Amino acid sequence: MRVAADPGLYDPENPLPTLHGSRCDACGTTFFPPLGIGCEICGAGAEGLRAVPLAAAGTLHSLATVYVHAGEDIEAPFTVAEVQLDDGPLIRGLMSEPATIDAIGSRVAAQWAELRTDADGNDVVEPRFRIEDRGDAGGGAA
Amino acid sequence: MSRTLREMRPVSVVGVGLHPYQRPGDTPYTALGVHAVRAALADAGLDWQAVETAYTGTATTAMGLSRLMYRHLGASGIPMTQVENASASGSTAFRQACIDVASGLVEVAIAVGVDKPAAFRRPTTAAGVRDLAAGRIVPFTHFALLANRYMFDHGATPEQFAMVAVKNARNGAGNPNAQRQKERTLEEVLAPPQISGPLTRLQCCPIGEGAAAAIVASEDAIARLGLDPARAVRVLSSAARSETVYQAENFDAALTRETTEIALADAGIAADALDVIELHDAFTVEELLYIEAMGLAPAGGAASQLAEGQFDIGGRVAVSPSGGLLAMGHPIGPTGVGQICEIAAQLRGEAGLRQHPGARLGLAHMVGVGAVCLVHVLAAAA
Ligand SMILES: [Zn+2]
Repeated sequence: MRVAADPGLYDPENPLPTLHGSRCDACGTTFFPPLGIGCEICGAGAEGLRAVPLAAAGTLHSLATVYVHAGEDIEAPFTVAEVQLDDGPLIRGLMSEPATIDAIGSRVAAQWAELRTDADGNDVVEPRFRIEDRGDAGGGAA
Repeated sequence: MSRTLREMRPVSVVGVGLHPYQRPGDTPYTALGVHAVRAALADAGLDWQAVETAYTGTATTAMGLSRLMYRHLGASGIPMTQVENASASGSTAFRQACIDVASGLVEVAIAVGVDKPAAFRRPTTAAGVRDLAAGRIVPFTHFALLANRYMFDHGATPEQFAMVAVKNARNGAGNPNAQRQKERTLEEVLAPPQISGPLTRLQCCPIGEGAAAAIVASEDAIARLGLDPARAVRVLSSAARSETVYQAENFDAALTRETTEIALADAGIAADALDVIELHDAFTVEELLYIEAMGLAPAGGAASQLAEGQFDIGGRVAVSPSGGLLAMGHPIGPTGVGQICEIAAQLRGEAGLRQHPGARLGLAHMVGVGAVCLVHVLAAAA
């Protein structure tokens, strides 16, 4: 079975990644990563913040391929993405494969990436974004 | 009712000093800091005993480090306070020193930035905040994301980003306190290693060690202590803001725009009146973003104006005449105070090889991760 590399952030049971977001009852803003202590827009307390599932799909806002990283367990190169989720927040994550800036504006959705197998034989997974179709975003660059 | 700095009593920079920014070595922070303080005292023509309070901008070295450093200047029992505000630690220490003098609490205050790079813990780690990138987005990648979006929005090229580093390396080559003192061609700046997105190594600032000191004083103190009023650089405004929620808008630029607007309004000047600017150019893309956010160029227009030489020493407005973070370096605590040292030198006409002709008004800008922005506007003596 699948287990989440970071169980606080997504639900590995779903065939497609679903993110653990939160929504403020008072002002209606949706957050990811989830906020649990208070709302950063209106200051409503924890009791006003509700857990909501967010589809890991949206529009590619930016991306960057990283060639150098000092982290011991992090192997470069890899490509990171900023994604404007359909469900609200602008979030950051990983792309499943490298892409160039002309992909900005494209539809993206996350799929499970298998990172390793744990001691119990489970697949440890995290969501990574893949370009679904090229948007006609009209940006200037090549 | 709240008041601006300019509505309080006048406060001026009367002495500045630096320990050169350099690769991390064996020099203790105490020696770095005392070197800068002695240089600032000599520049002002003051004894340490005249200083009534000390703010130390520091972020990476050690807890409670002030007295072990200042004790080498002689016992005085003055208040000593560490100021930690990430990259803006030195700028915030300077703001506190200015506020103490402007409010009338003291006549003479010193802001010192000192740091040696060390392992430090990110606030997101301490707060238990995680995201899908799982630690893979460090500052250079944060700015690589902004650089790629900027290229997409404006059709900018990697060469245009690299031109920022070419200009700032040229400025740094004339600065004996800079960590990088070598002129660089466009080809050298674009050469590998590639770090993240379009950013190459020479488009990322070096994190080293060093120290910077700035002494501020009231008009009464300048007269009583016999300081040269013609070399006193007036602090016209001090603005500080923290990040709010900007949705998809680039928050570094939005925060810079807000804070600069306040600083210019409080100083009573327009952006196009500025002669020299020191800004947080830790990565090349930032200089273009902040020039635009400050209102000195239209969105997407800074790169072409930079290529025309408008931001060179001797151009329309000299940007990063010290070499900026890219060439002078970014030892963290000292950086914001070092900007004040450069602006003071420029406004006094004492910047030597780096002198921007006729400099009368200067602006210093820092952002700090977490996220804060500090902007000071300074003016040459009337
Ligand atoms: Zn709310």
